[in-house]
Amino acid sequence: MEETIKSVVLGLCSGGIYALLAVSYVVIYKSTRVFPFSQAAVLIIGAYIMWFCLIVWHLPIWLGFLITCIGGGILGMFIERAFMRPLVGQPILAPIVVTLCLMLFLRGIGILMGKGDIQGFGESFLPVGAWKVGFLHLPKIQVYGFILCALLIAALMLFYEKTRTGLGMRVVHEDHVVAQNLGINVKRIFQYSWVISCIIAVVAGMLLGNIQGVGLALDANGLIAIAAVLFGGLESFAGAIIAGLAIGILQMLTINYIAPLLPGETTMMIPFVFLLLILFIKPYGLFGLVRIERL
Amino acid sequence: MNINRPCGTFDRTYFQAKELYRTPLRKTLLALLLVGMYLLPFLTGDYGISILTLICAFTIGMLGLQIITGYCGQISIGHAAFMGVGMYTVGILQRHFGLSFWVCLPLAGLVPMFIGMMFGLPALRMKGLYLAFATLAAHFVIVYVISNWRSVTNGTDGMWMKRPDVLFGIDFKSDRNYYLLVLTITIIMTYLATNLARSKLGRSFVAVRDNDIAAEVMGINIAYTKIMAFGIGCFFAGIAGALGGAYYEYVNVEWFGLDDSIWYLGFLVVGGFGSIFGAIAGATVWKVMDEFSTLVTPITEALLGGAAFYASAAFSLIFYSLIIIVFLVFEPRGIAHRWEIVKRSYRLHPFPY
Repeated sequence: MEETIKSVVLGLCSGGIYALLAVSYVVIYKSTRVFPFSQAAVLIIGAYIMWFCLIVWHLPIWLGFLITCIGGGILGMFIERAFMRPLVGQPILAPIVVTLCLMLFLRGIGILMGKGDIQGFGESFLPVGAWKVGFLHLPKIQVYGFILCALLIAALMLFYEKTRTGLGMRVVHEDHVVAQNLGINVKRIFQYSWVISCIIAVVAGMLLGNIQGVGLALDANGLIAIAAVLFGGLESFAGAIIAGLAIGILQMLTINYIAPLLPGETTMMIPFVFLLLILFIKPYGLFGLVRIERL
Repeated sequence: MNINRPCGTFDRTYFQAKELYRTPLRKTLLALLLVGMYLLPFLTGDYGISILTLICAFTIGMLGLQIITGYCGQISIGHAAFMGVGMYTVGILQRHFGLSFWVCLPLAGLVPMFIGMMFGLPALRMKGLYLAFATLAAHFVIVYVISNWRSVTNGTDGMWMKRPDVLFGIDFKSDRNYYLLVLTITIIMTYLATNLARSKLGRSFVAVRDNDIAAEVMGINIAYTKIMAFGIGCFFAGIAGALGGAYYEYVNVEWFGLDDSIWYLGFLVVGGFGSIFGAIAGATVWKVMDEFSTLVTPITEALLGGAAFYASAAFSLIFYSLIIIVFLVFEPRGIAHRWEIVKRSYRLHPFPY
């Protein structure tokens, strides 16, 4: 029992990052109807930019954070303008292949940036150590990371609810043609979506790099977050957040209860088995839109 | 099909209507191509033979993906994993049961076929992107099983495979004879795929791709069609894997990563969707690129400095993905479409259209 509670709490903490990543997928999917597989590799780039700032250029943490966010924004703008805009209106297969290829492209860039090695931040830029609450050991890295993720998601939601641009983005989520007719610049909204999503992914990347080390293996987290997106439903922010936390808990429970029974990287495999189960049982996820099509 | 014929070629009998190649010129060219393919290994050295063998093996795999994605419109991000299942089927059967390659080869197609149908089952309930997720999950589950079921698959260490035994007095141990075998199988599989595309099943694939609701209204069983597409496509992938693995006489789980599945999809785009020629062109471009990136490794090393392994890995990742993206942006219908344009302008020569 104690073990279970422990893994649930730890899972919630690490699930924050999955929730953030899942939100970064949903931001783009909702507005452009393209599933951005490339976000799995954007977080590698984010981690490497942070590594360059802190270790190579010896910048203070806040400046590194700022530069990484700006770098992520520029990357998102570049991807949208150069690769995704020409594909607007193409059949569904073209954007999927492009985002998959972008994933490998960014992986290649990541190899060049890191000289092919796993790098570390030396010492973590978030406080280390752990709080002791009852029988729980809460690692400070995880908790601060969780708080940062929650703040970012809250800021994003505020942006969607309170600003005029956010309102425009919500209209685009509903229907591209209607939005265009209302005088909203849909292309601009697509660009905003990519920029926001890439900034989110970059932040998630630096948090993960802080915990797991900066390397190419980071994109596994991005791929696992795909399971979370599907569980929550492709069109739902609330679903993405809940499912991200759920995947985090599932992973911790896997480490505690399933990993001793099975060999190898069960933490990588179990989310995908979970994904297959979702596809069989409830393919549109918890809060996803069930599209009814007609001729 | 009528569009691609010179004027004045009419079908007067049912036999003529069923013919794959109608004009004497095309028949001659096909015969010359086949003879040329069989003679090539006697002209090129071992290096050329190795490239040709790989092109042939990957052509079969690409044909499978063409059936799943190009004809039936279902996106598969796990095709390389099914190829791996084919490789490991042969490896396991040879290692644990000592079966001959000739017995293993059909099984290497059938086992991935059933696994592919199993992972295609979500097609009963959904389509498009969701099926892509199912194949992505299939990729990870298959790779996990292969790299961790040590007692059967020998884990990440890989397994030795044996080339086919002597048949009709031909010894396939030599690379040249093995290439001739792979070429023969490739021709048979290409013929099968070409005819499949013209059959009832192939036409229902295309109907499902173009509009699945309309196809259902017309009385096509969508779930059956999609699952058959997955099954047949994975059958091709398994055969390709068996031939490719037996060429190296060794299989390893490293050989079918997520990258390879994505390259499969990407170079299918480069070749062109929905045509057999596109699949062949895609596989050829892919393997020629592979050789090219191996050849330029010294240059990339010099440019980027430092260790070779990461420079060449990064180079091939960046270079291939840029090629695929450029093709998607500027010529989404691929080389096959360009080739059609060339052929048409030759046929209409003095006139522009």
